Amino acid sequence: MNMPLERGPDGFIRDDHQNSEFLVQRKAFTSEEVLAAEREKIFSTCWLYAAHASEIPEANDFVSRKIGGREVVVARDADGNIGAFFNTCTHRGAMVCREPSGNSRAFVCPYHGWTYDTSGAMIGQPADGGFPDGFFDNGKKDLTKVAHCDVYRDFIFVNFDAAAGGLVEYLADAADMIDLVADQSSIGMEVTEGRHDYSMEANWKLLLENSADGYHAVTAHASYFDYLQATNGTFRADFNPTDVGGRCYSLGNGHAVIEYGAPWGRPVAQWVPQWGDEGKVAVDGMMAGLVERHGEERARRIAEKNRNILIFPNLVINDIMALTIRTFQPISTGYLEVSAVSLAPKEEHPDVRKYRQYNFLEFLGPAGFATPDDVEMLQICQMGYQNMPEVVWNDISKGMNRAENSGDDELQMRSFWRRWNELMSA
Amino acid sequence: MAAYSRGQVEEFLYYEADLLDSWRMKEWYPLYTEDSEYLVPPIENPDADKETALFIINDDFHRLTQRALRLTKKTAHVEWPRSKVRHLISNVRIVDQQPTEIRVEYNQVVYRAKRGMDEFVCHVKQTLVPDGDSFKIKSKRIILDLHALRPQGQISIIL
Repeated sequence: MNMPLERGPDGFIRDDHQNSEFLVQRKAFTSEEVLAAEREKIFSTCWLYAAHASEIPEANDFVSRKIGGREVVVARDADGNIGAFFNTCTHRGAMVCREPSGNSRAFVCPYHGWTYDTSGAMIGQPADGGFPDGFFDNGKKDLTKVAHCDVYRDFIFVNFDAAAGGLVEYLADAADMIDLVADQSSIGMEVTEGRHDYSMEANWKLLLENSADGYHAVTAHASYFDYLQATNGTFRADFNPTDVGGRCYSLGNGHAVIEYGAPWGRPVAQWVPQWGDEGKVAVDGMMAGLVERHGEERARRIAEKNRNILIFPNLVINDIMALTIRTFQPISTGYLEVSAVSLAPKEEHPDVRKYRQYNFLEFLGPAGFATPDDVEMLQICQMGYQNMPEVVWNDISKGMNRAENSGDDELQMRSFWRRWNELMSA
Repeated sequence: MAAYSRGQVEEFLYYEADLLDSWRMKEWYPLYTEDSEYLVPPIENPDADKETALFIINDDFHRLTQRALRLTKKTAHVEWPRSKVRHLISNVRIVDQQPTEIRVEYNQVVYRAKRGMDEFVCHVKQTLVPDGDSFKIKSKRIILDLHALRPQGQISIIL
């Protein structure tokens, strides 16, 4: 039997400005009722990241994936327009696309042969009778389109709510952060080959919190820093640890970012000795291009600052030693699926691309020197919540007593939770 | 040209597996040559190029050494307390034999027990070089016969 949700005076959270204390009910991570409400109030109303335009560059390219609890196909139609539709035949429901990506002029349902083009329009079925004239006319049996599909700087988002507002309005100041990513190339960014599709036995919000958590690095990733120290040439020679500092900003609508100095190399565009002389020429060239296109100040922000960007509810763009687009889906209260890819400028020099990928997997990958420890942390949090009858609250207060939050404070998580609470309490 | 038997190769593969199963990490990495690689390519394209694609693991000798040493520390939280690991190897074939290099392929299942049980079903391609009475490993490429790293979630051990 479900216990009633104890929302408290502030809903699922306690946001006590007077005492600088911010608490989240652990039930938010474990309750079936909460997950059902999230599916309705968050995943059915918010803009959700779907794909990057570079994954479907040509007409009739498609990807199919799980988005917000649905099975969705994102495709470019024969005219090159990007659209999204539900991956289910309008006849009896079978998925019409069973490949994760590809190029095809048509999706043929394997069950009875109903056939659709890449805009989702029904274009045929094999029977020569049994349906009245005009039965398939006027798009009546077309694949059902997702209510909204829109693109911001090649990031494709969908929204299942017909009444939703626009994407740019939704992104609020997070759009500026996407600009800082998209502006890294003069000709466009691309998702590179190789996906990291993995999972965690943890609630999806634990990964959101963990993806921009400057506070945990020293403890949880001690062995990663040991490794960096044992490895020559991975740090900027002139790096001063006090430069890391950094700031945390709320970006509106539950989005947030931590931005801080990068001790390690950044393919765009901060060279470290590990990348060799040819790498230096390439990175310097990228920097010169940034300055030319964006001016010195913005170029240096793009090139020298790390950004862990949280876009509500389930998109993380970590612009650090490499660039990851990471999105995750709740499967159950205690199990999530993650998909992550590596994003890079199309014009990147091969030597730099090599180190981008080499460094990505070492920190950000599920078999690297850090992410497995994150997985462990999230899983033992979820296990710890079994003590919930007696231990009810999580603490996310760090930095609440400061006017400006630093990169290892927790404002970014509070921004998420305040928005989450607002939507869930509506 | 020295012809190595499958038995000699198997003996070596079992030895490597035993070092990993008994967590003798500091004896494991010296089996590799200084120009070696230890790779897990992307699941969707096992033939991908490590210089352009995002791999799951792409270690050179330095990084595989560090990977092994990390696993000896309590701060490798995911493996503390340590999991129980067991490698099962079968279908060993020598696919090419030259005086300086032997290419070997085999199937492998690795079990990792910690709370639950993770299974990693893989096809492995190794390039060995003769080293006295035994071999050293120049390349180990582990092709995961998985749809995704689910529900394993990660590779925290050495496959």
